[in-house]
Amino acid sequence: MSMTFTGYQRPNGAVGIRNRLLLIAVDECCEGIVRTIARSFEEAVVLTNWYTCMLGGNEETFHQMIAVGQNPNVAGVLVVAMGCGSILPSQIADPLRTAGQAVDTLTCQQAGGTRAAVELGIQKLQALKALADKHPKVEVPVSGLVVGVKCGGSDTSSGIASNPSVGAAVDRLVDLGATCIGGELFELQGCEVLLTRRAATPEVAAKIEKLIANEQSRWGVKGTDVETMSVGNCVGGLTTIEEKSMGALHKMGSRRIEDILEINKYGVDRPDHPGFYLSEASMLCGAAGVNYAAMGAHLILWTSGAAGFNNAIVPVIRVSGNKDLINPDIDVDATGIMDGTCGVGDVAERILLKVLETASGAPTAIEGIGDSTMTLYQKDQRVETLLGLTCAKMR
Amino acid sequence: MKRAIRMDENDHVATVLNDVQPGDEIGIHDTENLLLYTMTALERIPYGNKVALCALEAGDLLIKYGVPVGLCTRRIACGQLVHVHNVKSRTVDIPPAIRREIIRQMEIQEVEV
Repeated sequence: MSMTFTGYQRPNGAVGIRNRLLLIAVDECCEGIVRTIARSFEEAVVLTNWYTCMLGGNEETFHQMIAVGQNPNVAGVLVVAMGCGSILPSQIADPLRTAGQAVDTLTCQQAGGTRAAVELGIQKLQALKALADKHPKVEVPVSGLVVGVKCGGSDTSSGIASNPSVGAAVDRLVDLGATCIGGELFELQGCEVLLTRRAATPEVAAKIEKLIANEQSRWGVKGTDVETMSVGNCVGGLTTIEEKSMGALHKMGSRRIEDILEINKYGVDRPDHPGFYLSEASMLCGAAGVNYAAMGAHLILWTSGAAGFNNAIVPVIRVSGNKDLINPDIDVDATGIMDGTCGVGDVAERILLKVLETASGAPTAIEGIGDSTMTLYQKDQRVETLLGLTCAKMR
Repeated sequence: MKRAIRMDENDHVATVLNDVQPGDEIGIHDTENLLLYTMTALERIPYGNKVALCALEAGDLLIKYGVPVGLCTRRIACGQLVHVHNVKSRTVDIPPAIRREIIRQMEIQEVEV
């Protein structure tokens, strides 16, 4: 197996595995216009800020919108605003342009009406598409890949089959010089010792502990119920969050943790060298897809008991070991581990092959069909302050 | 014979990989698919759920993957289903209404032993 893939060479040096055009609706009012523009382009993906058109208190979302625009799978960005909110399109577009991304802006209220705004938007996106279509295909080593790891719809087969095999594939990728990112910190409760033992330095270990403790405070507020185990998780055979966490930990492999990656009001961290990273990517699938896009991931390995989750920018490779729920959505079938007909190593090898195929442009099982929402999830700054939570890194 | 997998040698439970009925013989396997021994199920245990490999008392830690993953809330006999009706989290527990819904959907019989 050749350990290379064929991607799109960007003018700024990055290599993407898809040629997506990103439309950022910086406020909810312009979303309809943005969706109408997007309908004319197969490559178009819409990212909408549903929180508010205000910037104050929503800096985490603001930084995430910029960071998603910098994802290597994005070949061009159109930033759209209605025109009466606090977030100016230029505030998103300027840093993207500085980072070498092809970007244009549209302020609907200056376009002369909704229809005119749509028409202008289509023209602008056509120009961005023309640039994107010129990005040449290049063959690069697997070490150029950034892969996010996530689980969802977990059941008992996740901890036995899909998570251990993805973990073995993650170790292979890291050994080949690639970058892998885990997250879902709340679901790592009880795993702190196993994780800090993998930290590259004592400082990284302290940051890991701090991030997990923060997440525990956020979701463990006395007097409020929080459903961290879905009914589906439990009917599938999982009893406690600790059990779910231990099963989930398997998918993060066993290699050294280089550093943590934070997403907060100060910005979005990205890996600065290869290896395995632990991040603040959410345990909620839609939000995690956007988090990984923001951290620069090319694709996501998703382990599941069930089927489903997809992301429009970052292709999702679905791995499942549940024979009752397996269907054509699943990219890698790990049920052989459950019935004793194959081993974790065999499945890991198939995952690695699927990663290379997907990176070279082969669509995943449900790519382009039924994408999940591009959820912009953010931590509430008021709750963070009330709980006394601070970042793990010095800013 | 039904199949179950024990993830670590210190575990109090194994995961059943078939639907198990009361009186069924279960073969307990390790992660390399080696048959360790057989035992008898005391009650219905749906695919993917856990069977107790030893007797446990209320207040005992439940060990799976070689580490504590919960606290027993009542006495559990060897061969019984181990789940939300007799084990709870030591960190963030499932809200009571959700727990009742899980027990209802799974038709778990809460019997004292």
